[in-house]
Amino acid sequence: MGNLIAETLSMSWMALAILAGLFVYFQVSISDPVAKKRATFKTFIGIVGTFLLFMAIANYKNNFYGENRLLPVSLVVITVTTFVMALYFTNISAMLKVGGFMFFVAAFLSGYGNWLPQVEGGFPPKEEKLDFSSMTSQQLADEGEKIIFGGIGKNKEQGAIGKGQCPLCHAFHAGMLGERAPNLLGLPERSDKERLTDPKYSKGNPSKREYEQKEAFPGSGTAENALEYIAESHACPSCYVVAGYGVKGTNDKQSPMPAIHKPPISLSLQELAAVDTWFYVREGRDSPSFEEIVKSYEKFIPEADRPKMAEDKPAGATSLMADGSEPVDQIFAKAQCVSCHTIPGIPGAMGTIGPKLEEGTTAPQRIKDPTYKGTAKSSAEYIMESIVDPSAFVVKPFPDNTMPKVFGQKLSAGALKKIVDYLSQVKAGAPPPKIS
Amino acid sequence: MGLLTGKRVFSIMALCMMVGLLLLPIVVALPSPAIGEEAPAGDAVKKDGDKVEKGRDVYYKTEGIVVGAPAPKTTDGPKDYPRYNFESRVLLWFANQQHLYYGSFVLAVPIFCMIIEFMGVVTKDKALAKRYDQLAYDFIKISLTAYSLTAILGGILIFTFLTLYPAFFGYLSSIFRPVMHIYALMFVAESGTLYIYYYGWDKMKEGFLKWIHLSMSVILNIIGTLLMFLANSWIGFMMSPAGVDEQGRYLGNIWHVIHTALWNPLNLHRILGNMAFGGGVVAAYAAYKFLAAKTDEDRAHYDWMGYIAMALGVSFLIPLPFAGYWLMREVYAYRQQMGITLMGGLLAWLFIIQATMIGILFLSTNYYLWQAMGRMRGAEKYQRYIKYLVFLLVCGFLVFITPHTMVMSPAELKAMGGQQHPVLGNFGVMSAKNGGINVIITTTVLSFVWYMRGNKVSTVSWAKFGNIFMGVFFACAYVNIIWLAIYGYYIPANVRVGLSVPQVATTLSCLFFMFALNSVMMRGAKQMGPIEWGKISVRSQYALIMLATAFTWMMALMGYIRSSVRLFWHVNEIMRDNSPWAYTHTVGFAANMISFNVLFFWISILFVFWMGSLAAKKVPVEAKAGIPGNVPQPAASH
Repeated sequence: MGNLIAETLSMSWMALAILAGLFVYFQVSISDPVAKKRATFKTFIGIVGTFLLFMAIANYKNNFYGENRLLPVSLVVITVTTFVMALYFTNISAMLKVGGFMFFVAAFLSGYGNWLPQVEGGFPPKEEKLDFSSMTSQQLADEGEKIIFGGIGKNKEQGAIGKGQCPLCHAFHAGMLGERAPNLLGLPERSDKERLTDPKYSKGNPSKREYEQKEAFPGSGTAENALEYIAESHACPSCYVVAGYGVKGTNDKQSPMPAIHKPPISLSLQELAAVDTWFYVREGRDSPSFEEIVKSYEKFIPEADRPKMAEDKPAGATSLMADGSEPVDQIFAKAQCVSCHTIPGIPGAMGTIGPKLEEGTTAPQRIKDPTYKGTAKSSAEYIMESIVDPSAFVVKPFPDNTMPKVFGQKLSAGALKKIVDYLSQVKAGAPPPKIS
Repeated sequence: MGLLTGKRVFSIMALCMMVGLLLLPIVVALPSPAIGEEAPAGDAVKKDGDKVEKGRDVYYKTEGIVVGAPAPKTTDGPKDYPRYNFESRVLLWFANQQHLYYGSFVLAVPIFCMIIEFMGVVTKDKALAKRYDQLAYDFIKISLTAYSLTAILGGILIFTFLTLYPAFFGYLSSIFRPVMHIYALMFVAESGTLYIYYYGWDKMKEGFLKWIHLSMSVILNIIGTLLMFLANSWIGFMMSPAGVDEQGRYLGNIWHVIHTALWNPLNLHRILGNMAFGGGVVAAYAAYKFLAAKTDEDRAHYDWMGYIAMALGVSFLIPLPFAGYWLMREVYAYRQQMGITLMGGLLAWLFIIQATMIGILFLSTNYYLWQAMGRMRGAEKYQRYIKYLVFLLVCGFLVFITPHTMVMSPAELKAMGGQQHPVLGNFGVMSAKNGGINVIITTTVLSFVWYMRGNKVSTVSWAKFGNIFMGVFFACAYVNIIWLAIYGYYIPANVRVGLSVPQVATTLSCLFFMFALNSVMMRGAKQMGPIEWGKISVRSQYALIMLATAFTWMMALMGYIRSSVRLFWHVNEIMRDNSPWAYTHTVGFAANMISFNVLFFWISILFVFWMGSLAAKKVPVEAKAGIPGNVPQPAASH
């Protein structure tokens, strides 16, 4: 309050000085006691009014950008001031009252706007370059969640929305009704079992489709599996429209959904792969590899239409041990697995610090082990779990906390998949699988 | 005789000059699009080896030859976003809003003048005709002062664009080059026409010359409306671009660039909005003059002026929600996400404010009409029913502002226990909201009908039947609207949306049929007493001021919503806003900024009114006998 008064005085001292001068002048110049009293009183009211007016302005100025919801108080102060002054300055009372009333209306509306929940749009998503191809499935899924909902773990928040804008129309959880677009829970399974088998989808024969678009582009064909179906529905929403969700008046021939790789959303193929990965990972399903997803999009989006990842920011340092493009033996070598483990079929993998990796045989046994507390249900999942979370199950008699826990971040999704594929085929007493 | 012939020649010359001015921009601009079309061909011929590049229109999906540069990819820095030590967007917001206010005012007032002048010409009562003519003249006088301010503010706006957003404005002007030139020439034509219209008023006040003068106002308004359409074209382009390819390259078809998805709905919405706004401003002016009046004559004159302005404004306010509905429908058709961002997303709270404001506007209008009945002898019979109208209005208003789904934080969501409020969430569906607003509008129509027959008793032989018919018609309308609002709960959402059509049709039927029938019934009606102009409560004048202020506020609010729905795009999906202000402000900040703009406008327009009052005053038209209610009466207790 003290600051506000000081600010008010600093802004209004000239006006107040003039009024004070008038006050003195009236004392000296007016001889009629009645007129003098009236002039004195009016000047006093003028001084008070001016001070309040400047106080309101100072308050407004101080809080222009602030979160102070009492800002409209300024306007109320002005209203009170004008009405008080109107009582004593009758020659301009109409103008003061009209002005004061307008300030009051504005104060009410401004106050109403400040009273409502304050939602700020936030800055637009940054066009930063991420190397999706070298991410693990979980990282990729996290990026996907960010694209859909604006942040990791936000998928259950109402109103959470990311660059992809999907929640504007789609629901993602059981029991939530998507009035504008289908609920996407169970999408991978439904794609396979319901959508591709729907006669209207016309799998393999796009010319028989009765939708606005027959194909994503001439010659693209239709989807052959769930992964491709998801890609096609993103790239060409009007190639197949779920009954009841078409543009009104088109008899479900046209989808209201925009092509996601085009403006305004313009997700790159890599970003779309992240989104799709989230669909799988969040349901606890094995996610297809990054390369497979990208390939499915390439089927429906011609080269010329593929949005490029933003290049205005330097790519983040990946510091990956292997990006998945290498043969599996090199991945084992780069990740230093060979130093600690014996891996049949891998040259130089003769380590003994950790157990011998014959996961085709040992993984099913360990899942059934009563002491096993992990979450894996299959060999592949067990191997993945052992890499990204080695403490989930520690093979006896090897000590815990020996194996680094960074491989989830240091190996790309593609590299991890290659490791899992290889190790799940290695069986005790059988010849090692072929290196790919 | 010679004098009369001279005047006639002068009038015809003036009219021809106006037509010439009207056609001037079109004639001058004709080569512009042609150059635009031919330019690429010329280039293609010039460079034999060069391939003519084609692009696909983002909206019309047609192919065209690329003739423009891509939309610039801006970066935050002094090159693309030079700035003062202040938020450039706020400066632009202020300049834009003030220009829009004045622009709307000077476009709306000539339409009023046209209507009022026409009423004066066709009115058989000469005294009343003169009164109308005087009113129209007063209006145009006010608009003349505001006109130069509009031009000044337009200049400030352009300079603000050029100095703070050069890259964006450069791109926009590269696309709209011919349109902007036509716009400038239209402005010249508008100015010329306005001056001839204003200064020719006294010379052409009777007979054939008056009709010539009236036709000049028609031309003036055609030019003004075309001006607004052109200005709307670049706004439409920013929201829903067309005529360019995905990179923002102009494809040579200027009509595509102008005729974007949202252009026509915007045009209609703005015409109606301007008229309602203009009515509000003039009504507020009249209210101010009424409150400041020292004599009964002045009070009577400004009471009448306020009523006419209010009636004109409200007659355009009534169809405004329907025009808004069409605009929103087109927004959804253009981009569903844009519609959802508006109505159910980031900007949804602003629509709650808008709903409140619409309620305030209609409540103020009704309140004014009920107060106005107090100056009519014979209107007492309706007073006792007003409480029922209040009940209907309040119920309609409460239903109308109840939201269905809300944007909430996780904590709020948890506290509420779901996406919808356990009680209120059941009420806020679209058909119920439509029911709410239609009840409000129908009640306003009913208030108007009561007002119009306040001091009259129908003398037609079928008066009793007519009254019963009107009563039944209104009752059926209410039942139909409310029944459909309830029925909406029992059908799926996508079907429910369609209920708005019969609801709106019911309201419009009331509006047109009941007004028409009432007019027929009141023809030659027996008068219970005159309308005692000036004998209206002071409170009623505050209702007019409330109407004007609320409308000004709502106009700024809707402009802000329309502009901010582009989010971080200068031109939606074509040119990204990379300035540090490419985010959407909070509702509170927007409300404060809107209040600032509204109050600045009113302070400045008061200055304009004051300027107008300094001009040589015409002798006020004295109250004449024979005009119902215009005999000056002693002021009431206030």
